[in-house]
Amino acid sequence: MLDGILIGLSTAITPINILMVMAGCLVGTFIGMLPGLGPISAIALMIPITYGFDPASGMILMAGVYYGAIFGGSTSSILINAPGVAGTVATAFDGYPMARAGHAGKALAIAAYASFSGGSIAAVFLLIAAPSLAVVSLAFQSTDYFALMVLGLTAVAAFAGKGQIVKALMMTVLGLMISTVGTDQTQGVQRFTLGTMDLIDGVSFLLLAMATFALSEALMAVLKPKSAADIARERDAQSNLGSMKLSKAEVREMAPVVGRSSVLGFFIGVLPGAGATIASFLAYGMEQRLAGPKKAAEFGKGSIRGLAAPETANNAACSGSFVPLLTLGIPGSGTTAIMLGALLSYGVQPGPRLFLDNPEVFWSVIVSMYIGNVVLLILNLPLIPYIARILALPPTVLIPMILFFSLIGVYFVSFNTFDIHLMVIFAVAAVVLRLLEFPMAPMLLGFILGGMMEENLRRALIINNDSWSFLWERPLTFAILSIAALILVAPMIAPRIARVLARRREAAGEGG
Amino acid sequence: MVSRDRLGALLMLAFSLGYGVLSFRIPLLAFQAEAAFTARSMPQALALLGAVLSLILLIKPGSTAGPQVAGFRWGGVALLCVLMVLYGLSVRPAGFLISTSLFLMGGFVVLGERRIWLILAASVPMVVFFWVLMTQFLGVFIEPWPEFLRR
Repeated sequence: MLDGILIGLSTAITPINILMVMAGCLVGTFIGMLPGLGPISAIALMIPITYGFDPASGMILMAGVYYGAIFGGSTSSILINAPGVAGTVATAFDGYPMARAGHAGKALAIAAYASFSGGSIAAVFLLIAAPSLAVVSLAFQSTDYFALMVLGLTAVAAFAGKGQIVKALMMTVLGLMISTVGTDQTQGVQRFTLGTMDLIDGVSFLLLAMATFALSEALMAVLKPKSAADIARERDAQSNLGSMKLSKAEVREMAPVVGRSSVLGFFIGVLPGAGATIASFLAYGMEQRLAGPKKAAEFGKGSIRGLAAPETANNAACSGSFVPLLTLGIPGSGTTAIMLGALLSYGVQPGPRLFLDNPEVFWSVIVSMYIGNVVLLILNLPLIPYIARILALPPTVLIPMILFFSLIGVYFVSFNTFDIHLMVIFAVAAVVLRLLEFPMAPMLLGFILGGMMEENLRRALIINNDSWSFLWERPLTFAILSIAALILVAPMIAPRIARVLARRREAAGEGG
Repeated sequence: MVSRDRLGALLMLAFSLGYGVLSFRIPLLAFQAEAAFTARSMPQALALLGAVLSLILLIKPGSTAGPQVAGFRWGGVALLCVLMVLYGLSVRPAGFLISTSLFLMGGFVVLGERRIWLILAASVPMVVFFWVLMTQFLGVFIEPWPEFLRR
């Protein structure tokens, strides 16, 4: 492992790569701060720029953008109660009341320290967990990979939230459907190209990501304009940040929260599909329960614990979500799905072989995560009062710029104007789906995993002489598929079991 | 009024059925017809899955609330979409600098910006800077001028 860390350090600590981390964190913070634009959009906007880079530098830049965007999302959550991403929704619960009470600076400092600690502790876990899992996963066969992809896709749907499971599954299926457009890789026949040459290579993941995230989010902002009161409130929050200093008592109160939330966040992040949002809500809930009645009453009204817990957990989960990506080549979230797409476009195949074939990419990403955390703390925190001014840019100027960067980002890769028109179609469809409250991330994940899933299933069938028996005869495949089935069925059955148990308890109470 | 979930389910059902019908048009080579897994297998399984899930949502929606669209600026969004389509059509013949500057100016005006200095300052210099950055520093060439000015 020490050799690996040295490889990572020698790659990451070159002037150009340090510049990448710094630029990534700064740009990510800017983009993440814009309400509606999250890390997926931020990374998607960066991809065309990084095409000319070597894979390690490109990934280092994107890891920096990822952290920066999460931090930027926290800033807009705290200052204007507009989380850029779902992962920072819980941050607004206590961060925004603190800002309203005139402690915006302190809330931002707590968020920065908590993010730094969570990210740093999780980077150490990643350092230990990723190589170990990479070695184990060398024994995985295509049947197991197929099962793991099924697990990843079902987990995304299962964690989608109450009433959203079927919708998330539908979006996953939609993503899988879009992934089948183009020339079939194995048999060479065209599928769903509608007779046009432009679809022979299929739909590019960058096009889909830009259209369904950056473009559609910008169009949604036009569709639902802010009220004058909201705009006035935002201007007020940006101009009065207050002190950023923390007292010793506040640091002492934060420390155990940060420790617990880092561990929880990392392990939740490792689970495919769970990610930063679930981690932040779970950490918030856990700390509220552990706080005791007096401190628990402060939650939602500007509690330091209530702010530190989700901030730590979401950053720790970001590091955790890199474990399945780097070791198995399976993204656990929409953001890591887009990073997988970027890696593939560099000609790097993530998975167990990445650890052996491209150790400099593997280790430099891990090391750069730590460097990214340091950069965020020492560079972004002092710059926050200035960076926050981007929130003052009028939407009349900002939105056309976002549209332009999204369109040109895709056009600069293909130089095909058909892509611009296809983006508009996807963006309009995404706006309609957003209005109907269908989640977008499962669609992107389904799209990214679709091709790989089909290829692994086909390979597994060829190895097994066209027999489907591997699904139940190979223990590892069967175990993973069973977990997938359990994850899918559990949220549907659990409330019924709880109702039956409650009824029985009531009946027993009446009888006794 | 049709609820959000039911409307979404209907749209997805129609899409799944259309996708399923098109999947039967995927050509198969003679030796592939008897294989356990062909180029049609996954699309047909997905079409079935999509239709089943849509029916589940149609029969048992998670919410009965209707779509909330009151006060939405549909006109602004429609105009921006038209602008994007026009940008796609003009970026090659009119060149990057002119088409992009016009696209941005059009976008600012559509969204209600009326300050001429801001419209000009936020479009032309930004487009020129971006073009220089891409062509001179990142090595991505894009034709700056309209067709009639090219040699």
